[in-house]
This record gives sequence, structure tokens and C-alpha cells, in this order.
Amino acid sequence: MEVPETARPTDGSQDHGDADSAAVVRVSEVSRTFALKGGTVPALDAVSLEAPVGSFLALIGPSGCGKSTLLRLLGGLDQPDSGSLSVAGATPDELRRAGRLGVAFQDPALLPWRNVRKNIALPLQVLKRPADPARIDHLIDLVGLRGFEDAVPSQLSGGMRQRVSIARALVTEPEILLLDEPFGALDEILRRQLNLELQRIWLEQRPTTVLVTHAIDEAVFLADRIVVMSARPGRVVEIVDVPFERPRRPEVMKTPEFHALADRLSDLLFGQGAG
Amino acid sequence: MNQHERRWPATVVSLAVVAVIWEIVGRLELIGSGAFPPLAHIATQLWHDRGDYPRHTLGTVEAASLGFLIGNTVAIMLALAFSRWPPLERVLRGVGLTLFSVPFIALVPVLLIAFSTNTARIVLAALAVYFPTMVSTLVGLRQVDQRLVDVVTVSGGGELAVLRLIRLRACLPALFAGLRIAAPAAMLGAMLAEFGGGFRWGLGSYLLGSLGQANPARIWGIGLVATAVAAFGYAVFALIGSRVAGATSSVTTATAGPEALEGDGREPLWAKAGFSLASAAVVLGVWAFGLRLLGISPIVAKTPLAVVKYLTTGPGAATARHELLSALGQTLPLMFLGLACGLAAAFVLALVLSLRPAVGHAFLPFALVSQTMPLPALTPLLVLVFGRGVLAIVMVTISVTFFPAFVTIAQGLAQAPRGPSDLVQAYGGNSVGVLRFVGLPNAIPHLLTATRLAAPRALLGVMIAEFLATGTGIGNLINQARGLLDYGMIWAVAAAAVIVALTLTQLVGAIEHRVWRRFAS
Repeated sequence: MEVPETARPTDGSQDHGDADSAAVVRVSEVSRTFALKGGTVPALDAVSLEAPVGSFLALIGPSGCGKSTLLRLLGGLDQPDSGSLSVAGATPDELRRAGRLGVAFQDPALLPWRNVRKNIALPLQVLKRPADPARIDHLIDLVGLRGFEDAVPSQLSGGMRQRVSIARALVTEPEILLLDEPFGALDEILRRQLNLELQRIWLEQRPTTVLVTHAIDEAVFLADRIVVMSARPGRVVEIVDVPFERPRRPEVMKTPEFHALADRLSDLLFGQGAG
Repeated sequence: MNQHERRWPATVVSLAVVAVIWEIVGRLELIGSGAFPPLAHIATQLWHDRGDYPRHTLGTVEAASLGFLIGNTVAIMLALAFSRWPPLERVLRGVGLTLFSVPFIALVPVLLIAFSTNTARIVLAALAVYFPTMVSTLVGLRQVDQRLVDVVTVSGGGELAVLRLIRLRACLPALFAGLRIAAPAAMLGAMLAEFGGGFRWGLGSYLLGSLGQANPARIWGIGLVATAVAAFGYAVFALIGSRVAGATSSVTTATAGPEALEGDGREPLWAKAGFSLASAAVVLGVWAFGLRLLGISPIVAKTPLAVVKYLTTGPGAATARHELLSALGQTLPLMFLGLACGLAAAFVLALVLSLRPAVGHAFLPFALVSQTMPLPALTPLLVLVFGRGVLAIVMVTISVTFFPAFVTIAQGLAQAPRGPSDLVQAYGGNSVGVLRFVGLPNAIPHLLTATRLAAPRALLGVMIAEFLATGTGIGNLINQARGLLDYGMIWAVAAAAVIVALTLTQLVGAIEHRVWRRFAS
């Protein structure tokens, strides 16, 4: 469980260390503890990290490492006990109220009584913005749901529901996209397919993206920068940059470089358990 | 759809079998010597009385509908307020629990003192619908998928946006489930008020007037018409509810369990005690100041303090105490006996049916009829069949507790996950093994829930039977006190009945809460 001295998350952020605070995702010394029956559980312990705006950040770690907690803090759904979070100089709460966030969870969380089109339009309604039908059509095309606009969630497969929730996350043209294991409940084949689509969408819109996942290959394939976390308490073990060119093709997953990086990450993840 | 279609044959066959048995039993006068008339006689009598029914039915339905409307409007508004400001619910919880557990027949004389006859009937109907609708709506408003709330929150929405876009729509199935129960409850309230006398038109007064006429077929006819009206209300809201639920049942995982209403799991003891005291104070305050506000003479309308004085220091306090205690001594043992028999029967039958679901479908129509049959209509019928003695009281109590308990337990068992049963079978267990390791332990928390729900009904059942038939116990005492204009006794009996029912539900509720908590984790 001990974190090696060398693995402190400083070297990783050095490359972008000169970035102006207005153009970074910044998490500094964030701690969050939950009170449970008979004691407290420290979910995050002085977590710090940075990433440039417009980049794709992945958080990986064992369950209980606080990666979802960190995402909820970034989404303004929870407040840290200490420390601060900001994206391009704004707090999560400010971002949230301004409608600059998009979110998708492992559970698609669609409104069961609304069809695809109306589910996608939900965030616009919350923000009292007009729903541009052309924009929603474009999103439906983007996630490959043409022909299912009027279907309700119970008529869709798990993968299709997840696509709706991705489209919904994008409808406000968010500057920050928060993804909490959005493909975690899907089978491997579907997950790969949606990973490719997610990259395509991301390249087209370039939102700053934070992806929580427990799949190493998913993190390496999608992210510019991977934050490896350890559990109980949640700490950053190491921050790893991913050098591959964009757009990444599925073939990249067969290269030695990809495997080397994946192996390194899995050493970081499993090594700590043994120590 | 398919399941519905497959259910029909069993239902139709069982209805036909019962009709035939009924006819035979009636013709041969096998039960209660003529108290159980054949269906043909009941139909003939209905035809003969066809001129009377429209006005009587309309009288009850009109009051019940008005009460239904008023009670539900208040219930829904308060549920919205409670979901917005939870402490408000905690403070007013005592009022809700009192309304849930009060035997409404104890309120009849009180309401007839406070209001004009027709207003009293509407008010009782409104009081009868308040609790089921309020609780269902509140649970519906609270029991939303947290992820949906998160999506709206991250998109920049506040509590109001969550309410507008999610809660209001998501609560509809629960709301209609409440209204479905509230419809027969409104009939019950209106008919009970009519038992208090002074009504020209109403199914309850028609029934009361027919009791002494030695015409069982007419009493059965009135009972069946009242049931049909209540069942119609039930069916309308059940139908709308199932439409709405079809479009609502989440494709995602449900989150909240039976704890949804609590929201006070981990607060310190002093806070719990504080809320309980505040909520008790509100009940007493409503009692004391409500009467003042209505401008009723203090001679007629006794405050809590006046009732205490009546039973302790007032003239004749010793006699009054003695009367009340000996009446309670008659009522309570019968209530417990009936409750225990009804619950035991429901428990056993639900367990057996969980292993043989097909039998359950044949049983369904009778469960539905008994759910919707107004208690005031059922009681005279049971008195006809079982006579004016202790047996009738016990039978009334069994029948009012059996079916709701059966439905609660059976539904609970039906919702149990298949996994554990499959596991027992995978290790070579037979249906007895499944019952022992899975069914029985699963059923126990549901049995406790059923007990809590059935206990107030048991007291109401005993009191109605005492009032109508046997002339014993507190059901008779409150009626007698009305005749003697002994207002202190009316209020004392009403208060005693509420205290008994409230204590019982709270006791069972506390045990239930513990057991549920253990099973939930």
C-alpha cells in the first residue's frame, strides 16, 4: 500500500508546467473523506494533478481509489474537504452553472419516458437554451443512432443507450467532458467500437475530457495523459503521458510501444498491491 | 401482454367455480340458514330495488368523490412540500401516522359533532385518502435514480430543475398506486360516516336501514354494489397507473429500498426524540386548536386536557375509567386473535403460492375484490353468515387483515431475486429446500410490513363489528356514548383507539425497521 517516493506526481506535469492557469485543468491538494457507519473512509488524500485544456485525461486505479469521487468533484456534484479544483480558472460550480460541463456515467441514466431526441435535449432544457433540431440531428448521426430518434430507452440495446448518453453529454458543446466508466458495463467488442467513436467525436469537438476507467487498454488508446491512482486512501501514484499520434487506429493496440506502456501501467497498478 | 392472456383462463375458471359453489351453498342453505342467499336471489333483489340504488349510490359517490379530490389535493401538495423541506415531514409525521392508524369509526361521532352531516361525510372520505396518497407520492418523489439527478445537476440545474424535469414525472407510477388504494378508501370513509346516522341517501345508510329487515339478499346486493363502485375507482387508477408505469419503469437500476421514507437513519438520538416530541405536540395542537378554530362549543368538543380530566378528576371519572377499560378488555383480545389468525393464514398461503404461482392467478380476483370491498359493506355480510357473536368479530378481523397481508407478503416474495433459489436447486435442493433456505427468510420482513399495515385495520374491523352486531367493546361504547350525549366518553374512546393503534403500529414498525436494515445490507 505504500507509495514509493519516486512515484510522486511531479515529473509528469513538468512538461506542461509553464502552462498558464487559465488554460489548465488543475487539481491541487484535494482531500475528501466520507463518514460511514462506525468510522470514516478517506476517499482522496491530497491529490494534485494538471492537464492542458483540450487534452484527454484518463484516471485509472483499483476500485476504492477515489477516481469517481474526483470526477464528481470536477463535476461540482460534491465538494472537497480541502484543496481546490479549477478548469481554465473557473471552479466546478461555476462551470456547472454556466452549462460548460458534459457528463456520462457507467449507467446511461436516461429518462425512461423520453425518446432519444428528447433525452439528448435534456441539458438544453435545464439551461433554458433553445434546442436546435439540426444540432441534435448532427449528434444522432455522430453517435450512429439515425433511425432511432423516436425510440424510448427500453427499446434500445445497452450500447445504443450508452451512445445516447454520450450524445446528451455533448449537446451543450461542453468545454469539459466528464466520463465515469461510460463503457464499463458493455462487452469487450462493443467497448472497443465505442472507444473508436469516442475518439472520433473528441477529435471533432476537442472538449477537455476526463475519463474514469479501470481498463488499461482503454486508457492508453484514448488518453493523452494517464493518472494512476492507488486505493485507501486515494492517492496519485504516477502520471504517465501517452505519445501516440492522433487519430489512433485500432492497429496501434498491437504495437510493442502500446504493450510496453500497458505493461508499465499494470506494473504500477498491481505492483502496489504486492508491496 | 402474453402473461395477461395466459392468466385469464385460470381467473375465469375460478370465478365460475366460485359462482357455482355459491349458488349450491345458497340453494341448500348450507351456511347460516339463509344468510348466504344464492346468486339468483341477490340478482332478483337487486332488480327489485333498482329504483333505490341510483340515489343511494349517487349520495355516497358524490361525497366520496369530493373527499377524494380534497384529500388527494392536500396529500399531493404536502408530499411536494415534504420532499422539498424534509424537516416539515418529520414534524407533521404524527398527524399522518394518526390518520393512518385511527379506526375511522371512532372519528365518525367526533366529525358529526364538528360538522354538518354531509360535510362530515366528505371530511371522513378526505381523511381516509390522505395517508395512502401522501406516502406513495412522497416515496415516488424521493425514489428517483440518483444518476438522473446528477445529470441534471452537472448540466447546471438546481433542485427546481430536478423537480420539474425528473421528480414530477418519475413519481407518477407511485402516485397512481396511491390513488388506486385511495379510491376504495374514499368509499370506506363516506360509508362509515353514513353509519353515524342522519343521512337520507347513501349506500351506508341504505345498508344500516336494511340490517333489521331480515332480507339477506338486499344486504348482499348493497354490499356488491358498493364493492363494484369501489372496484371501478380502483380499476380506473390501476389502468392509468399501468400505462404510466410502462413508460416509466427505468431501464436502469432502481436505487431506493423501503428506507426511502426514512431519511433519519443516522441522526443523533436527541434529534429523533425532538422530532417525535414536536410531531406529537402538533397532533395535540391540531386537536386542541382545530376545535377552537371551528368554533365548536367546549361542552361538545373536548380538548386533550378535558379528556384527561374526564377520566381522572371529573365527576364520575372512576365509572368512566372502568367502562373504558372493560370495553378495551373486550376489544383488544379479539383484535389480537383475529390479527394473528389473519396474518398466519396469509403467511402460509403466500409461501405456498410462491412455490405454485399458477394457483395464485386463480386467487387474484378474490384478492382484488377483498382489497376494494368497503369494510362497512363486508361487515354486515359476515355478521349475516357468522351470527352476532364473537365468531363474527373474529371473522371480520381475519378477513380485513388476511388479504392485504397476503398481497404484501406475496408481492414481496415475487420480487425476491431468483439467484438464491437457483443456487439451492443447483445443490440438489427441492422446493422444500428452497422454501426453508430462501422463501421463509425472505418472507419474514414482509410479514412484519404486513403486520404493521394490517394492525390498524384489525382494530377498525373489530370496532365496526362491535358497533353493528355484538354490542360489546369500544365499538359499542362510543356508539352508546353518542346516544347518551356523553361527549367526554366519545372523545375518550376515540383517543384510546388512536393510542392503541398508534402504539401497535409504532412497535411493529420499530421491529420491522431493524429487520429490514439487516436484510438490506
